[in-house]
Amino acid sequence: MHLAQLRLRDFRNYARLDVDLTPGFHLLLGGNAQGKTNILEAIYLLATLRSFRGVGGAQMIRHDHRGYFVGATVVGEGTHAVKMYWSPKERRLTLNGDPVRRLGDYLGVLRVVVFCTEDLQLVKGAAGQRRRFLNLLLAQTHPAYLTMLQRYARAVRSRNALLRQRPLDETALESFSREVVGTGTEITRLRHELIPRISPLARLAYRRISNDAEELKLEYRPSVRADFAAELARVRTRELNYRTTLVGPHRDDLDLTLDRKPASQFGSEGQKRSLAVALKMAQAEYVTGLRGAPPILLIDDVMGELDAKRRAGLLPLLERSHQASGQVFMTCTEENWPHELGRRLQRWEVVSGTLNRVADGAAAPA
Amino acid sequence: MASLPPSLTRLIAALSHLPGVGPRSAERLALHLVQGEPGGVKELARAIVEARETVRNCSTCGALTETDPCELCRDDRRDRALICVVERPVDILLVEKAGVFRGRFHVLGGKLSPLNGVEPEDLRIAELERRVGPEGIREVILALPTDVEGDATCHYLAQRLREVGIQVTRLAHGLPAGSGLEYADELTLTRALEGRSSVL
Repeated sequence: MHLAQLRLRDFRNYARLDVDLTPGFHLLLGGNAQGKTNILEAIYLLATLRSFRGVGGAQMIRHDHRGYFVGATVVGEGTHAVKMYWSPKERRLTLNGDPVRRLGDYLGVLRVVVFCTEDLQLVKGAAGQRRRFLNLLLAQTHPAYLTMLQRYARAVRSRNALLRQRPLDETALESFSREVVGTGTEITRLRHELIPRISPLARLAYRRISNDAEELKLEYRPSVRADFAAELARVRTRELNYRTTLVGPHRDDLDLTLDRKPASQFGSEGQKRSLAVALKMAQAEYVTGLRGAPPILLIDDVMGELDAKRRAGLLPLLERSHQASGQVFMTCTEENWPHELGRRLQRWEVVSGTLNRVADGAAAPA
Repeated sequence: MASLPPSLTRLIAALSHLPGVGPRSAERLALHLVQGEPGGVKELARAIVEARETVRNCSTCGALTETDPCELCRDDRRDRALICVVERPVDILLVEKAGVFRGRFHVLGGKLSPLNGVEPEDLRIAELERRVGPEGIREVILALPTDVEGDATCHYLAQRLREVGIQVTRLAHGLPAGSGLEYADELTLTRALEGRSSVL
């Protein structure tokens, strides 16, 4: 899967950008605050309708302008034109010229995996970060998952609202509990199935990147171990005190251990970074395995944080994903990238909201 | 700066409260009305007032009607033993269009929604329970939406009606008739698969 064209209007610091792209490895070079990451953000936005920087739409509009536009031609299973316009008053999203009615029809047209500094939170951050990782993976590979997750979230919020009421309406509570248990059980089951599939991929990626002997293990820690309904009944008194739903997939976690020790506590900074990259690599490989075509990789500033040995370990992984007609975009402040990276490297110079192709002849010297 | 006459402004404000009418459409409608044929406008005003005054909810089933009880409730050819519970009055028309249901209806007037403050007392559930006893009802069919609130409401009603000891059923989930699998979303297909039935 690759982008054949990218168009930006009033997006971040880009007034206007029209660029034709080929499959392969694209290196975005430039100083700080020139707009390298904005390109990755725009591509991620088209794929997921969110910013990986965790900001709302208003912040992505060019200063003092009304709205932004992001459009692209995606070549994957067929060729698709995707267009998105956002302003505080108006949102438009079209796929091949038709307005998108159901998100399920749209998500999946463009699949990306982003590597950024915030990934470190997957290892160091709270359980919610890891749940989001699992959710994203399942949403990318299991079409009904997103709908289920939305239903579950709504059922839990309804149930919490009932738990806050006095007097308590037992029958109404039971009715919503049933919905929570039904969808929740299904979500737990899908997460159970997912972990053994991505765990070997993550372990392999970690071993290659770190070159170390430690054994990475991913272990699912479901909030519900056996029967959801029974566990809800068991925490009933506590729920009435706390007035909120205390068990369920919204309380799940994913344990990351290196040689059976929790990585977040015992890992070094370098190990944590390698682990975060390995998880993202596993995500990319898993999606590739299921869909046949590799997702587009967006790599933001991650290389600077890995030492030379780890970068050399990551290299072959990235090369492999752009060989199978995939596409990789990577930002770099200076050309400190190991030169053994493939000869078919497309370099772009990013200077204050413009993108200029650097002539092929100037490609990394051997 | 010239502005619109006050009465016209008031008309625009009133129209913009209608569902699906934004400020722009309200202005267009109002300008059309004040410049149109006076007879036509009077006719429209009369129709609005008359409809509002004569249309009410049937005290038995909750359907929109001019006579109370409504035609559906008075129709002796309809099966008294079956009641189809729907969320809104307009849902009755949808079921009637199919032309296969020959029982009676009951409009709930909404669905349980703790997030929007809709509690059982806000729905016509007590009315339903009152009907179930004396009318000799054998089966209550729930034709409610399949979202979280709709499903929870179904379960809630089944619980309440269980005490009376009558059969409570709900509409099946499944594929839309006469179309291919491509028109069903993933969740529908999942449910359709769960509710599959033997061919022979």
